[in-house]
Amino acid sequence: MTYGNALTVLADPTRRQVFERLRAGPHAVNAIAAGLPVSRPAVSQHLKALKAAGLVQERSEGVRRIYSVRREGLADLRDWLDSFWGDALEAFKREAEKPRAKKARSR
Amino acid sequence: MSRSTPIEPVRKSARVKAPIAHAFEVFTSGLSRWWPPNHGIGKKPIRKVLLEPHLGGRWLEISEDGTETSVATIIHWQPPHRLVMLWQVNAQWKPDVAMRSEVDVRFTAEGANATHVELVHHKFETMGEDAGASLRKDVNGGWPGLIERFAQEAERSSPAQTQ
Repeated sequence: MTYGNALTVLADPTRRQVFERLRAGPHAVNAIAAGLPVSRPAVSQHLKALKAAGLVQERSEGVRRIYSVRREGLADLRDWLDSFWGDALEAFKREAEKPRAKKARSR
Repeated sequence: MSRSTPIEPVRKSARVKAPIAHAFEVFTSGLSRWWPPNHGIGKKPIRKVLLEPHLGGRWLEISEDGTETSVATIIHWQPPHRLVMLWQVNAQWKPDVAMRSEVDVRFTAEGANATHVELVHHKFETMGEDAGASLRKDVNGGWPGLIERFAQEAERSSPAQTQ
């Protein structure tokens, strides 16, 4: 249920702002924090939450940490939002694959 | 009357780890068990969504207050291989018996315990060019209101930790 976490995490407006900045490209924490009405440690906390939800990833460059959007995390969310028949078939598949009663095997 | 230009069908498929008869039974008689409960066009809240499993059978939504809304009618019934439904929903996602796009679902056994399910929603052009294009876009993408559902879910599960 990756998208569930993503939804929860993106429900926070400040966190959404942080995330939106990263959509333009990878940034260091300082660059992300610049212009946002929250402290740098607060931005770090938001990034941590976004990372835990699979929405961003980080790498080290010397002493700096560079954050970027994790495309796969976004894809999970998009898949969840984006498909009417796809959604339905997925739900159907889950139901059809549930373990069946014994009588079904005796045919 | 101008001739309608065909609108490209929407195709989706799934591979189900279950025998064909079971897959067909779940898809039809078992609709209530898996249809996403928020995916309805009739009166909300919905109590039950069901499919009458026979030729001429209806796809029905039953709301909490007992209101029945017919979404589709089965026009081809060939268990456990295929069913075709007239999708009687207009571009505004309201029930409309004059609407005649079709949902064609085929089941193909892939061995004893796997089934390939192909769903084709087509004949959108029967609705008229604009309405057909609109419904096609909707069923190919998200269910209308999914964004709303997203917002609701996001708000509901939002931790009250924002300072």
